[in-house]
Amino acid sequence: MQKEKSKELVKEPTPPKAWLMGVAGWLVPGAGHLLQGHWLRALLLGGAVWVCFICGFLMGGHLFRYSSDDQGFSSILQIPPMIGNLGTGLLYIVCWVLGVGFSNDSQQAALATFEYGWTFLIIAGLLNYLAMLDAFDIAAGRKS
Amino acid sequence: MRHFLVMTLFAFLAAVVFGTVAKDHDRDRIAYGFKVFAEFMIIGLALSWILYFIPF
Repeated sequence: MQKEKSKELVKEPTPPKAWLMGVAGWLVPGAGHLLQGHWLRALLLGGAVWVCFICGFLMGGHLFRYSSDDQGFSSILQIPPMIGNLGTGLLYIVCWVLGVGFSNDSQQAALATFEYGWTFLIIAGLLNYLAMLDAFDIAAGRKS
Repeated sequence: MRHFLVMTLFAFLAAVVFGTVAKDHDRDRIAYGFKVFAEFMIIGLALSWILYFIPF
């Protein structure tokens, strides 16, 4: 009885493919499912993340990044939303490399949808983390 | 009206992802997606009315 229980508790090693699918899903929203042939899921999950990200920018939102130039706690407070933004993978990285989407000027902040915008950009990243974990679980055989 | 549309868009996108990720069967996924959408909308509207009556 004890042996049976211990056998059940033994975890099977995660196949490398699962990590690959997870990374693909993080880098390009929807890619993790698309590479596994789940095109409808890829369309729904990737589409939701892309729409959320684009709407965030259209509403006048901005992305967050850590900057040591900010004083005191201000720089530390940039980290949690930055982690959310990082969930969009390449979308965030491309914006960071090109220096697009990080500006936070007063004209932009005056928009009625400014705060919705940056919230949508964070939500896009958080939703993609969920999509990424789903792609990982499917590739690992833990989910159908 | 703009705020309501943004809230609806957010609820829809979140419901699509939650519904797709959460359950094992298509029927359950659709039902769960609708449930999440309704929850976001109802709680959002309830909170907005509560905050409307708070004077500060």
